[in-house]
Amino acid sequence: MSGDAGSSPAAVGAFPRVERDAAGAGFFDAAARGELLLRRAGDGRLLGPQDDAEARTGSADLAPVVASGRATLVSWAVVHQAPLPWLAGAVPYVCAVVELAEGPWLTVRLVDADPGALAAGQPLRVRFVPSGPPDGPGETLPVFAPA
Amino acid sequence: MTGAAIVGLGLTAMGKVYDRSGTSLAAEAVRAAVGDAGLELSDLDGLLASSGVTQSVGITLAGSLGLTELGLLAQVNSFGATAGVLVAQAAQAIAAGTASAVACVFADNPLTPRSSAGAAYGTSRSVAQTLRGTAGWSLASGATNPNIFYAMCARRHMERFGTTSEQLAEVAVAQRAWAAGNPLAQFREPITVADHQASRWIADPLHLLDCCVVSNGAVAVVVTAAERAADLARPAVHVWGHGQAHAPRRMHAGSEWGVVTPAARSGPAALRMAGVGVDDVDVCELYDCYTYTVLVTLEDYGFCAKGEGGEFVRDGRLAPGGELACNTGGGQLSSYYMWGFTPLSEAVIQARGDGGARQAPRNDVVLVSGNGGLLEHHSTLVLSPHAKAAS
Repeated sequence: MSGDAGSSPAAVGAFPRVERDAAGAGFFDAAARGELLLRRAGDGRLLGPQDDAEARTGSADLAPVVASGRATLVSWAVVHQAPLPWLAGAVPYVCAVVELAEGPWLTVRLVDADPGALAAGQPLRVRFVPSGPPDGPGETLPVFAPA
Repeated sequence: MTGAAIVGLGLTAMGKVYDRSGTSLAAEAVRAAVGDAGLELSDLDGLLASSGVTQSVGITLAGSLGLTELGLLAQVNSFGATAGVLVAQAAQAIAAGTASAVACVFADNPLTPRSSAGAAYGTSRSVAQTLRGTAGWSLASGATNPNIFYAMCARRHMERFGTTSEQLAEVAVAQRAWAAGNPLAQFREPITVADHQASRWIADPLHLLDCCVVSNGAVAVVVTAAERAADLARPAVHVWGHGQAHAPRRMHAGSEWGVVTPAARSGPAALRMAGVGVDDVDVCELYDCYTYTVLVTLEDYGFCAKGEGGEFVRDGRLAPGGELACNTGGGQLSSYYMWGFTPLSEAVIQARGDGGARQAPRNDVVLVSGNGGLLEHHSTLVLSPHAKAAS
C-alpha cells in the first residue's frame, strides 16, 4: 500500500523527521530536555499534549506540567503494514495506548519491547529519541519502553 | 398498520467499478431503488445522501436526479453508523408528516485502477510531506489508521478475556461461507481457520483476513409509511425499531475503550422500541469492518455475556446452518464495503426472502448494526417482513 514510500524524503529509519510548529514549541523544547510535557486545566485536570482546550469548560488557559514519565500498558499492536509512506522504514513497529501515572492516555510508539512478552498493565517508562535522518534531524520525540 | 417501511432497494455493481463519480453511482442506486419499489423519481419528496471515505456525494445529487420539489434534503455523516441514522431520520420525517417517500443513499469510490485496496484508505495524508507539531509526533508514533486502533481494541479484549485470533477467524470463515451464495460478493472462495492464520499480518493481532474489503459502488433504499407500502411492487420491510449511541474519544483512565462499545446502548434502545429481545432475532446483519467488530457487537447487544464473544462465535455458530444467521451476504469482510449500507442492504434482501441460496431459514426479526469511528458511533435497526403491531 506504500509503493511510493521511497519517494518520501522523510521515510528514513524508525522515526520520520518531525518539525516544530509554534503551538508545539514548548512540548519539543521539553522533549529535548528529557521531559514529557502535559497540560493542566484551571480545575486541575491533566490533559494530553495535543488537547488545546478543556472539554467541559472550553477553557484554553492551560498550564504546562512535566509528567513523571511513568505509565502502564493499556493495549498495543505490532504494525506490519506501513499505514503511511513515512513509516515504510519503521515496520514492523509497536504502537501502544498507555496510561500515564498522572491519568491521561497517550497513543505512542513502544521501543525495545519484545512483542511476545508484553502484557496489559505492565509498567512503562518514557524515553526520548531523535526523529529524522542523521544528516537532517528533526525534533526529539517521546516514546515509551518497558520499565 | 403504523410506522415506516423500506419499500425499495437499489445496488450498483460493486468493487472495481472505475471511472464513475460518487454522484453518478448514487444516482444509479436511487433510480434502481425507486424502480424496485414501483415508484417514480417524482414520487420522492425526501433525499438523504451519504458517502464514505471519499465524501463524494452531497446534496447536489438532488439536482442530478432532477428532484426539484423535495421537502427534505440533507447530506449526513455519522461515519459507519450513517445508514441506521438515515433510515431513522426518514422514519421520523414520515411519522411527523414532513415527508412521505425518502430515498437514503450511500456511494463511495476510493478504489483506483493503479492502487491497492489498502492504499485507498491508507495514504490519504501522504500529500503533506512534512510532519509538524504534536500532530506530527502522533503520526510519527505510527498509530495512524483504523487497522491499528481496531487491532489495539481487539488486543485489549484478548488480554482481558482470553479471546484468541482463532476465534476471530471463526467470524471470517463463517462469513466467507455465506458469501458463496451472494453473486455480488467480491470474495466467494471458501477459507479455513488455517487460511486466516496464514494470511499476512496487517497490525498484529489482526491478519489480512480480519479486515474488510474495499469497494466502489452505491446502495439506496426508499422509505415510506408502512400503510402505503402495501400497495407497492415489492414486499415491505417494516422498521420496528431504531437506536443510536455515540461515545467519541473515550481514551482516559478507567475507560472501557475498545471493550464495551456504544452498541451496548444503541442495541437495547432499538430492541425496546421494536418490542422484542435478542432471543427473538432470526438474522443479524452486523457492521464488520473487522472480525472483532462482530464479536464485540454480539456481546454488547446481549447475545452473550461480555467477554464470552470468542466462545460464542466458535464451532460455526454464525455460519450457514449455524444457530445464528449472521452477515448472510458475506458482510464487509467478503462481499462489499458500503459502510452501513452493507448490512442494511443484506437485511432488506433477507427480510424479503430474496436471499436465494443464502436465505436464512427464519427472517421474522432482522437486526442491523452500524459502527463508526474507532468503535465510537453506533446505530441499530430492527426490521421485519411483518407490520409492527400497533402499540
